[in-house]
Amino acid sequence: MRAAIILLAACASCSRSARDDGPAGAPVTIVLKHQPLWGDAAPFHAFLDRFRRENPDVVVRAETLPNASDVAREMFLTALEGGADDFDVFAIDVVWAPEFARAGWLADLSAAFPPAKLREELLPHAVEAVTLEGRVYAVPWFLDVGLLYYRTDLVARAPKTYAELREFARAAMARDPRVNGFLWQGRQYEGLNCNVFEAVWGHGGELLDEGRIALDTAEARAALTWLRETVESGLSPRSVVSSGEEETRRAFQDGRAVFLRNWPYVWAEAQAKGSAVQGKVGFAPLPSATGEPGAGTLGGWQLAVNARSPASRRRAAERLVAYLTSHEAAVELALHYSRIPARRAVYDDPRVQRGAPFIAALLPIALAARPRPVTPYYALASDSIQGELSAAIAGLRPPAEALSRAQRIVDHLENPR
Amino acid sequence: MKRALPTAAVLVFFLGPLAWQLLTSLWPEAELTRPLPSALTLANYAGLGGTFARAVLNSLLVAAGTTALCLAAGASAAFAIAKLEFRGRSLLLGAALAISMFPPIATVSPLYLALKALGLRDSLAGLVVPYATFALPLTLWLLTSFFRELPDEIYRAALADGCTPWQAFVRVFLPLSWPALATCAILVFIFSWNELLYALSFISTPEKRTIPVAIALFAGEHVEPWGQIAAASVVATLPLAVLTLLFQKRIVAGLTAGAVKE
Amino acid sequence: MMAAPAAAILAGVALVPVLAAAWLSLHRSIVVFHEQRFIGLSNFRFLLEDGRFWSALRTTAYFTAVAVAVELLLGLPVAMLLHRGKGLLRAAVLLPWAIPTAVSARMWAWLFNADYGLLHRLAPGVDWLGSPWTALHAAILVDVWKTTPFVALILLAGLQTIPEDVYEAANADGAGRARTFASITLPLLRPAILVALLFRSLDAFRVFDAIYVLTEGGPANATETLSIYAYKTLMRSGDFGYGSTLSVATFLCVLAIGLLFVRVLGRQR
Repeated sequence: MRAAIILLAACASCSRSARDDGPAGAPVTIVLKHQPLWGDAAPFHAFLDRFRRENPDVVVRAETLPNASDVAREMFLTALEGGADDFDVFAIDVVWAPEFARAGWLADLSAAFPPAKLREELLPHAVEAVTLEGRVYAVPWFLDVGLLYYRTDLVARAPKTYAELREFARAAMARDPRVNGFLWQGRQYEGLNCNVFEAVWGHGGELLDEGRIALDTAEARAALTWLRETVESGLSPRSVVSSGEEETRRAFQDGRAVFLRNWPYVWAEAQAKGSAVQGKVGFAPLPSATGEPGAGTLGGWQLAVNARSPASRRRAAERLVAYLTSHEAAVELALHYSRIPARRAVYDDPRVQRGAPFIAALLPIALAARPRPVTPYYALASDSIQGELSAAIAGLRPPAEALSRAQRIVDHLENPR
Repeated sequence: MKRALPTAAVLVFFLGPLAWQLLTSLWPEAELTRPLPSALTLANYAGLGGTFARAVLNSLLVAAGTTALCLAAGASAAFAIAKLEFRGRSLLLGAALAISMFPPIATVSPLYLALKALGLRDSLAGLVVPYATFALPLTLWLLTSFFRELPDEIYRAALADGCTPWQAFVRVFLPLSWPALATCAILVFIFSWNELLYALSFISTPEKRTIPVAIALFAGEHVEPWGQIAAASVVATLPLAVLTLLFQKRIVAGLTAGAVKE
Repeated sequence: MMAAPAAAILAGVALVPVLAAAWLSLHRSIVVFHEQRFIGLSNFRFLLEDGRFWSALRTTAYFTAVAVAVELLLGLPVAMLLHRGKGLLRAAVLLPWAIPTAVSARMWAWLFNADYGLLHRLAPGVDWLGSPWTALHAAILVDVWKTTPFVALILLAGLQTIPEDVYEAANADGAGRARTFASITLPLLRPAILVALLFRSLDAFRVFDAIYVLTEGGPANATETLSIYAYKTLMRSGDFGYGSTLSVATFLCVLAIGLLFVRVLGRQR
């Protein structure tokens, strides 16, 4: 009898101090900060519950934070700079990884997730985006990639070159004057950088030159000129200059355009009931100058572990990261939330091929996705780059001048006075 | 009749966009780009959920706390500045003004560290204090300006009646200042209700979220559910509309009490 | 001491971050690189040569001047309407100010949308947010819409303090509406007008949400105000040093405006 009471008392004191490194056997609580996944939250919660069942010594508290990248970044910057240790696993945007890693805010995960193994199992470019100086600081969770949507009822096939894009769009516009040619995102924000970089890659250019951001190149000038011309020639409506993803998606979904450059999420929306273009949409890699499939910008989110989490929580955190980025998890995310997997094998999984054929078919495009310059300086410079690119797109400055100004700013940032 | 046209113009200008917002919230999501919806639906409201209700409650608590703190500290200080003679009163007023001039974004990081040190981070009380601080200058200025307009004779009469300054303040001046107090209360309440930056940076547990942060959470990674956001903002504005309706009588209570005219 | 609580709150909570930010402005501090080097006034020297700063200052000054002027011109008639209006009207007019700025700005962004917006249907061919000139004025419109109620409310409080018998006397003297307004109402409203002007100017100079949601400061940073520049420098670039410098510079500008008004306010006493 006395033993039972002592045991009960011991258990009571255990649960009260669950958050600390309690006595052996007490569950460790780790906090997961993630963006709300668009759709029914139930499958994700069920998935987390399974982790709890398989890992009874770990309690996971999932907290959501806003999806808007800027808003989340502001929150993280303030918290991490302020030494926050009240969350353990958190989702970061693909462009923050090199920067946060350099700041020492992300735990080095190379032991639990060896780079070589990651490169084998996940898409190589995705791994490249999370590796800094050979060490892994985050694990890709799900991806995004820029691609081209086209109206199957207005054009026979997807264009392979920019010239074909122009030609096909003009032919369709001649037949139906109400329709716009090519919609893309030209507003001053990060999405503009994505669009421009895709054009640069499509023109055969590179963005990194020996680890330094290189913008003032002939290919970049050609790319920026091409984009500006789409607006000047009327191929793209003037509104492109102030449009983001949602404005262009809605326009395309309303049947107002032949071609749209956007992210994979548009597919589900365009094929949903009530969409004016349901059943009339195809997707393809972006065009390029030579006809080779163009590369889309790599987007998406990765899971990282807070460098300030104490050792005991870190092990549990790594287990959670492994679970959330496992094959099973990727299949769940693909089926329920249309998230593009970072794991190569998931694309061939029969469940995905049956339940999410769009995602399965995305493999070649996903493989070709390229990250924005993987250097800690990109996040610092991205804002200034946006300003200059926007000046060129809006016709306020010639592309060559905009690019050389951008290059000067980037150089100044990389070489502090 | 002469008032009808300007009244109508004012109503259209101010309420027009809001009516559009209300319409958007009843608009089926798939038809948002069409000129007019084919049918109205409550789906956007149904999707709001219990967490949003929780956020409304949190906002109410924080806003009420901020207003109370601001009015209490502000009214007494304003009275002191306006009627009592003490050194440094211009300095106080000036400093209050100066504080409110600083761009809030630069204060986020230092405040975060300060609140963390005080253990107030991630608590509703930890929001009330910064909010009250940044709403205090306007309150101080409005109330000081108001108290200055009230004649000094009233104060001297009260003192002659044997009141201490504090009693004079509470018994004589406060009842006269309903219009100004009501005005300040509404301004502070609304400021606190809609504040996003601090609420986002200082609160991390979902149960303590306030409305602006909750609305920011509606957006998916790319998709922005305009209909749902419109519905949320309508629900968020309702308490404010009700409060304003209740308070507006106080705002225009007027000084018909008679004490001032003498 | 009755003023003590207010003083304590202000000193404790507000002064600390402000002083901290001012201190940071004297450093080169890029958060990500854990750099924190004291460089004295170097940041300020760079600021004086920073074209983007001057451009932002011009934009901010223009925005403030136009927005506040329009708000005052609109606020006064609205306040007079509310003065004798029904309660419902008062509540209705206050609503724009009651909606979270981020939400109302988004609502206006939708209205301004170059393809679908209501305003597009009224004035097709104008890409409101795509060209710097119209974008800035679009932002001014949003700000005017949102904060005129605030100005009206302050002016209304001022109108309420004018005793009725003043009007009765004027009426008895045979003064017309316009004369009454010009020589009685307006002068008596002066304190309220100045308070409204003061606080609106201070706020307009630090405008952020209205413009950020509409254009993020674009195109080509043409609608970027000082607050947006400071925000981007602090949060996007993680440059806490220069970002704080920009904030201090904004503060000094706003201080100058404030001092100007206070001098005017003081003189009239």
